[in-house]
Amino acid sequence: MKEILERLFMVSADPYKSVEGWKRKTGKKVIGVFPMWIPEEIIHAADILPAVIWRGNEPVTEGHAHLPPFNCGLTRSFVDDAVRGKLDFMDGMVFYRMCLQAVVLRFIIERHAQPQPTYLEHLYLPPVFDRSPCLKEFLIEELETLQRGVEGLSGKEVTVDSLNRSIKIYNENRGLLRRLYQLRRAKPGLLKARDILVMVHSSMLMPKEEHSELLKGILGDLEKKEPPTLVKGAKRVIVSGCLCQTPSLDLLGLIEDSGMAIIDDDLYIGSRYFAIDTDVNGNPIEALADRYMKDEPVCPTKGEWQKNWGDYLIDMVKRNNADGVISLLVKYCPPHLCWYPAVREKLAEAGIPHILIEVEHEVTSLEPVKTRLASFVEIMTGRA
Amino acid sequence: MEQKEYKLNMLHTTMGMGPMVDQHWAELRTAKQRGEKVAWAAGPGFILPYAMKMKCHFMAGYSSYCAGRRCGDQVIEAAESGGDLVDTCSYHKLHTGMFYAVREGIPIKEEVVLPIPDLMITARLCPEQSHYGEALHQRFGVRVIGIDCPIPRKKEDFPKLEEFVTREYKEILIPVLEEICGKPFDYDELRRILSVLKETALIRNECWEFFKKKPTPWTLWDYGVSLAPVVYMMGKPEGAIYYQRLKAELAERAAKNIPALLPDGGKYRLIWDGWLPWAFLGRIIRKLVRYGALPICGRYPWEFFPHPEAFDPEAEDIIYDLVKQWYSGQEILWHDGPEGAVELNGKLIEEYSIDGIIFFTSKTCRLWMGQQDMMTAIERKYGVPGIIIEGDMVDSRMISDAQIDTRLQALFERIDGIRKRQPF
Repeated sequence: MKEILERLFMVSADPYKSVEGWKRKTGKKVIGVFPMWIPEEIIHAADILPAVIWRGNEPVTEGHAHLPPFNCGLTRSFVDDAVRGKLDFMDGMVFYRMCLQAVVLRFIIERHAQPQPTYLEHLYLPPVFDRSPCLKEFLIEELETLQRGVEGLSGKEVTVDSLNRSIKIYNENRGLLRRLYQLRRAKPGLLKARDILVMVHSSMLMPKEEHSELLKGILGDLEKKEPPTLVKGAKRVIVSGCLCQTPSLDLLGLIEDSGMAIIDDDLYIGSRYFAIDTDVNGNPIEALADRYMKDEPVCPTKGEWQKNWGDYLIDMVKRNNADGVISLLVKYCPPHLCWYPAVREKLAEAGIPHILIEVEHEVTSLEPVKTRLASFVEIMTGRA
Repeated sequence: MEQKEYKLNMLHTTMGMGPMVDQHWAELRTAKQRGEKVAWAAGPGFILPYAMKMKCHFMAGYSSYCAGRRCGDQVIEAAESGGDLVDTCSYHKLHTGMFYAVREGIPIKEEVVLPIPDLMITARLCPEQSHYGEALHQRFGVRVIGIDCPIPRKKEDFPKLEEFVTREYKEILIPVLEEICGKPFDYDELRRILSVLKETALIRNECWEFFKKKPTPWTLWDYGVSLAPVVYMMGKPEGAIYYQRLKAELAERAAKNIPALLPDGGKYRLIWDGWLPWAFLGRIIRKLVRYGALPICGRYPWEFFPHPEAFDPEAEDIIYDLVKQWYSGQEILWHDGPEGAVELNGKLIEEYSIDGIIFFTSKTCRLWMGQQDMMTAIERKYGVPGIIIEGDMVDSRMISDAQIDTRLQALFERIDGIRKRQPF
């Protein structure tokens, strides 16, 4: 298990090397997809590796010539990587209009990425709003646009059968990740939050078939293992938010070292990524559209207002018998910024202790965060 | 060399706009007391509740009004006391703040209080407009209807986007308006409003022509404060009367060669690209005037709204005709995107003899993203330099005088340098 975890850690820590290495080894193509809702299955069915675009591992330098410092870390870091040629192994890139910061990416990439990706797509994935038929039909047209694009890049037709096969492969991987989370809930402390994050993040960067095999190996070992005894009085918390991008491993470690056990999460690089499956049926594009139109997990980028993100979190707290919620808000993330007060109000009404921590791409001082986390533990302890 | 002293020569007609907008918002504030239905709207689509004789608020219109009445900071403070964060869109916070202040009894000036709407229409031109609807629904229980209005990335996408948005209007928005108002959609009233708008806009366009004159008799700020009749006070005959007066004053100035900037019209003709800084119009124009510079056109007040003169009130499919203006008709949403913005700014540079561009980027709004690259692309293609000023439309915490002063100085030095290199 240790070896597998180390391997997944290397994939997550240095996606440039691992994705490019995979490409060199297999001779296949790679498309970078913008998080969080582009159906990777369509790209996979064209025999191309969809790699979810990641927050880079260096400070932003040249990228600031193209985006202001008050853009989110993911967009700044991605543009920085692209203009510095660090993403030159990507044959294609797919964006969509999840937020305003994503709207401009294609414009910048077309002018400055070195070299230019062969395939650049900007999809108009619509909001779900009231789930009217015209929204779904438009969404299906957009998914078909993606299908035609990847077929053009790979020279391989995406058939009903090949797409259904990809959907099954993705569903299997999601199922395995869900099993991992069940274990985490049943045996708190069995895995550190950083290990869990690495397992989910590597899934976004590797062929799903290979990742699933590695996960099966880990799960087999974990199911036999007994968890270490939690620190006496450790508080059970849920970490939420951090849309699109990886939270800092140090921050997750700090939460656990501050007398808390992360027993579940509502992170994008976490339970949001694998929460729902796609149906396998005679019309896989429509099935992918149906997955997108679902109301869970409540996503602040999709125009979901029939359900409240706060209620979704309260359910998660109840299911896990959690003591509190930690919201990780990516600095300058408009969807999360706008939704945050509603979430805060819901949690307050339900009497659930809650703390907000803003996170940045650049390393911020952890010391003030440590003090705030210590206070949060005291608040939860006072309520027990 | 002696520094010339410039002075802004204010128009008289624009003074009349204050009472007109005050009356508009006062009528809205008291609408419910008269039993009228009220809608709030963000983005394209607010003309439809007007056609149903609902009183209608318009997000950006209210925001500019609130900021112009010096209430912005107060309402934003209320929003932040209710949980909004400092980096959230200021327009968003003006609305959640107003709601929160009323609900919690936090004192704000009466003139910027709005009635609780029967319906909020949010057109997702900017994804944050969708969040605005979510916040009003989730936190304050307002019924919200959403329309997606994607900003096109390629002109080839116009037909599919027009078809999609037209369907949304017809299948989502109109049935809800009919349900709330208890009557069929009033296409005749929509055509009437469009006719009045068209008449108003045709006079407005004659006023625009004066921007081409050297020296210009008016400024972009004058036009900014004159936006309401063609943007959110649509259908009211006062709009045409206002623009008639404005045209007469401009014609008189033009005939007598009286410039907007005394004594000689100034040195620099500028594009202002981005939102107008509603709460800081005076503060910024005073800085520009010191250099002998005037903003005379710009993407936001120029091309952000469909030009009503292009509407055809008699069109067989009036809804499609309306939607079309945002896409293939006038390419309005194309110009919101970075590719279209370069194209439009190039056109404005040539038509209005522009010397430089100020890109105004808001720290809380990312609609005008890509300005760094636009600036480079425009300078390469047209030889016109630009600067970026970071600030906000409303929030005074986001405005730094020192930063603005330094960058303005850099812009005018660059323009002077370019002029010196020119042979004549």
